[in-house]
Amino acid sequence: MSRAMNLLRPLVLLAALSLAACGGGAETKENPIINQAPVPDYTGPAASTPDIQAFKINLWENLKASNRCGGCHNATGQSPRFARNDDVNLAYQDALALVNLTQPDMSRLVAKVSGGHNCWLSANSACGDTMTVWIRNWAGAVATGGKTIQLVAPPDRSVGSSKTFPTDSALYASTIHPLVRQFCSRCHASNAGTPVSPYFADANVDAAYAAARSKINLDNTSLSRLEVRLRDEFHNCWGDCATSAATMLQRIDAFANGVPLTQVDPSLVVSKALTLYEGTVAAGGNRYESNVIALWEFKTGMGTTAFDTSGQEPAINLTFSGDVSWVGGWGMKVGAGGKAQGTSSASKKLADRIKATGEYSIEAWVAPANVVQEDAWIVSYSGGPTARNATLGQRAYQYQMQTRSNKTDANGAPFTLTKDTDRDAQASLQHVVLTYDPVNGQRLYVNGVATGDVDRAGGGNLSDWDDSFALVLGNETSGTRPWTGVLKLVAIHSRALTAAQVRQNFDAGVGERYFMLFNVTQLTNVPQSYIMFEASQYDSYSYMFAKPTFISLDPAARPGSLPLKGMRIGINGVEARVGQAYVPMDVMINDSNYAPSTGQPLGGIGTVVALEKGPSNDQFFLTFERIAANSHTVTEPPLAPPAAPVDLPPQSQVGLRQFEEINASMAAMTTVPTTQTEVKSTYDLVKQALPQNESVEGFLSAQQVGIAQLAIEYCNALVENSTLRGAYFPGVDFSGSASALFGTAGARDQVFNPLLDRMLGVAVGTQPDRAAVRGELDSLAAKLSSCGGSCAADRSKTIAKASCGAVLGSAVTLLQ
Amino acid sequence: MMRAVSTEQDGTNQVAKMSVSIGKLTCAALALGLLAIGIAQAGSREQAKRMHDRIAGVPPSAAVLDQMAAEIAAGRPLAAANIAMQSSAFYNVTLKNFVAPWTNREQSVFVPLNDYTATVIGMVRDDEPFDTVLSADILYTAPGASGVAAYSPSNNDHYDQLEQTGADLKTVLVKQTQSGLNGIPAAATAGVMTSRAAAQAFFIAGTNRAMFRFTLMNHLCRDMEQMLDTSRPPDRIRQDVSRSPGGDSRIFLNNCIGCHSGMDPLAQSFAYYQYDETLARLVYTAGQVQPKYFNNSDNFKPGYVTPDDHWDNYWRKGPNQVVGWDIQLPGSGNGAKTMGQELARSDAFAACQVEKVFKTVCFRAPADATDRARVQVIKSDFKAGGYKLKQVFAETAAYCMGD
Repeated sequence: MSRAMNLLRPLVLLAALSLAACGGGAETKENPIINQAPVPDYTGPAASTPDIQAFKINLWENLKASNRCGGCHNATGQSPRFARNDDVNLAYQDALALVNLTQPDMSRLVAKVSGGHNCWLSANSACGDTMTVWIRNWAGAVATGGKTIQLVAPPDRSVGSSKTFPTDSALYASTIHPLVRQFCSRCHASNAGTPVSPYFADANVDAAYAAARSKINLDNTSLSRLEVRLRDEFHNCWGDCATSAATMLQRIDAFANGVPLTQVDPSLVVSKALTLYEGTVAAGGNRYESNVIALWEFKTGMGTTAFDTSGQEPAINLTFSGDVSWVGGWGMKVGAGGKAQGTSSASKKLADRIKATGEYSIEAWVAPANVVQEDAWIVSYSGGPTARNATLGQRAYQYQMQTRSNKTDANGAPFTLTKDTDRDAQASLQHVVLTYDPVNGQRLYVNGVATGDVDRAGGGNLSDWDDSFALVLGNETSGTRPWTGVLKLVAIHSRALTAAQVRQNFDAGVGERYFMLFNVTQLTNVPQSYIMFEASQYDSYSYMFAKPTFISLDPAARPGSLPLKGMRIGINGVEARVGQAYVPMDVMINDSNYAPSTGQPLGGIGTVVALEKGPSNDQFFLTFERIAANSHTVTEPPLAPPAAPVDLPPQSQVGLRQFEEINASMAAMTTVPTTQTEVKSTYDLVKQALPQNESVEGFLSAQQVGIAQLAIEYCNALVENSTLRGAYFPGVDFSGSASALFGTAGARDQVFNPLLDRMLGVAVGTQPDRAAVRGELDSLAAKLSSCGGSCAADRSKTIAKASCGAVLGSAVTLLQ
Repeated sequence: MMRAVSTEQDGTNQVAKMSVSIGKLTCAALALGLLAIGIAQAGSREQAKRMHDRIAGVPPSAAVLDQMAAEIAAGRPLAAANIAMQSSAFYNVTLKNFVAPWTNREQSVFVPLNDYTATVIGMVRDDEPFDTVLSADILYTAPGASGVAAYSPSNNDHYDQLEQTGADLKTVLVKQTQSGLNGIPAAATAGVMTSRAAAQAFFIAGTNRAMFRFTLMNHLCRDMEQMLDTSRPPDRIRQDVSRSPGGDSRIFLNNCIGCHSGMDPLAQSFAYYQYDETLARLVYTAGQVQPKYFNNSDNFKPGYVTPDDHWDNYWRKGPNQVVGWDIQLPGSGNGAKTMGQELARSDAFAACQVEKVFKTVCFRAPADATDRARVQVIKSDFKAGGYKLKQVFAETAAYCMGD
């Protein structure tokens, strides 16, 4: 115990010093956490320079094993011997020629493993990415500093006629679909026993067609992935692969031949054409990854494994299960009940590294499918619904954070939620970072900004983390906390990222981006001139174009004065129908706004354009209403004539009076003002029970109850008010007995005629029959005046009120 | 029935009997009424009765019925309608309930009288050109009404109490200016859109798109779905609209873009307006775009960042030309006033007012070619006659008074 305390003491002191440094003084730099090199088997000379030591720790240690490069490129094996185990200094000499330290992803080593040269993983791209990370780690600050991207001129290609996928799936259904249903549906269908994306053999032909498009090359059918997989990669052929491939090609040809060629409108003013991948790669912004211990970028795009390309061994490669599929432009889509889970043995590195630092960050680019899902785990390092180390989840518009520490229970409770009214979680792509440090506990950043929510448990230590748990995305390990949405990148850091680091990673963005250079030289006569876009595949269904810029690759060139107006993006021979954000553009490109190194920006607006054949095959170009001396007048397609109006079924010619009309009508018919106290209170009471509109079809018996109540109230007010009563029933003495007042027809006339005159009106044929109504009133009066000789003193008034109410609460008032 | 109970002296049996009788009578009368209306051949008295019922919502007095019947008999149904419109109930009942649903998101009629409703009532009464309802510096108050709180831009007491005291809106309403009463610049007033009630309902929280959508629904009789046009440039769609909702950009490209591409550049006209919940009033910040226009700006960073209140009507091209925009107007401008003019000078605005009145007076939508032709005529008269809504009521009531 005392020894432990002694060990802790310097750490506490160190923490205090670090905190003090935050408050002022010279700028400090955090030391990166570097794997301790396991070198017991290395007995050669020590690294003679710091750079060789960096090479040794970051790259060589990962390559020298006999099941990696060291199996061949060793001291006695194949040249170059960059993985030799006898002398790291000599290995370094050979490695220098194989790496590009300023642009690690352009290294020869990366190219080789990416191309399939003895890749030790099932996906070549994952080997390439991992190799890139190792080289970048070696290069350190050299590679992460700001660098200038060299724009490369794309191939000079004119806009060609092209084939475009028909929107309807009928052609697919009659050509390719039957074949793939027969031979591929055991895996490539959503209802397969072990469903494997893409579902081009799905029973639903529309879904199958949507999935198959990116696997078919309409312009060069023999490059279609559907055939290449059989012909060159021998992927689950149904017999002889050559024959299977030929059969598939035959079907693809039948499909492609059924698609007409789209001719380019010759009147358009067009740029040269290129595909997304012919653009210059915009090296991702400089992400802060000094302490990354696990990283998934979802680049593979096929198979059922998402590779951890952090370069930190062991890699936590995630296995898909349930409804999980790849998303174009790098990403993973988690459907209902799906998850991607690593092994607990590989996940153990998280507990080991994070317990050592007492801090961590979970960083994710997420696009929740909706904002109604609750108890939905996005990233979780846990052992079931009640035991976890850390979880980032979604609860409707809120993000939920749970970290197990000495301040919480084994499930990370009490949980911390972002503020409900802030609606931090949105169903759009968001950069979400959960950080944990011993002082502040959990903090959340959304799109680079701290949400300000305070950890309910406060900071603690993480020494109790359970290293038997597994890392899982999109669910709980038990499968009982399903989340749906898209993940485009997930990283776990063994430090709490600072606000600046979070911002840096948010600004770096996610996914592959390209500078697409549309050649307009022949239109502008400015040498090597281009309209440049920053473009990317936005998701599985679209591309994003942003930051249009006019630029010449000739540093000496100047634009002079060039008008540019009405720019549109073309795809596969035609202008895209949706997403033309640059139509209103009307700018002048001139020398004063133009800088040779950066060109002239043409506005900051970006747009998305629908994907058609996939990023390898979709050919883009630009059209202009005016550029330099070239112009094209765009005419909108003629308006379709409006559809002939449809006659409505016969409708009622009569209607109900609605609530306020009833009230006003009763007031008019009884002469009692609507403001009379009892009347008003009754009206306020029954108002919402009265008809709301005139439709007779909407009449309810409950409404009649309200009407009757209000009618009685009006009649009561009329009869009880001597002034109103006197004017309404001139000459009638309501203090008389019921039999005297209602005993004879003549006597009843005095009460009933004023009611009928005012309520039914005189000589209006559409009103109820006066004699019939009078008959009902007579009958009512007869019943009510039969008291067996013991009528109460006010019985006459009561009969008058009842008679009044009967007429007033009837269809006389209700209908109009 | 409650009053009957309290006045009954000898037990509940009688009351129950009376209820039964009333019920029987009501049913009988209802049936009789339907029968009578269904089969009778309407003469001038019947036509006059229906016309008055439909316009004023209440039955006419005997004298008014006689006058109106005489006018109809003499072939002057519009004169008869004008007599009906002299009823206070036309203002207090028919117009109030005609307008009330426009003033709240739930489109409920059960809302208190407010400045929006009162202003429309006043404009109709005074034959103010109704095509200024979305742009004029106008507000109706009742300064002379007794026992009623004075007008305040920070509460609805004035109108609430006018309604509670049963004030005759036909007589008490007086035309005023919003700029004079609310301290908002005259150029920033935009008819009922800048009324307190509209601000409270549609400028509250959110992104101010609600004001546009509800104005479109209430005054052009179109909801956003009917304006869907995905072929307009999306360059003015704000950053808060996700281009890939839930990771699926097809939703944006097939749906969202169809409304937002036209709506956002028009709703930009409201960039300086806000309903301040603390002050309980409309706030106008000249030259300063409201922060709500930058909500969720990270949803799509390269989206449009609103710099001012300049609006453009992209729907002047494409299928929404059928709205019939006024070619005399430029189709763009700054602020809500000119945008309100853009909407109210459209053919759809005039048609919508006629359709709403038709529904109010005839209890049905125009059903066949004859109805539609009449609506066209009434609409043309409305526009040619200086946008007087009373004229629309009169012509429509004459059309629907029965044969």
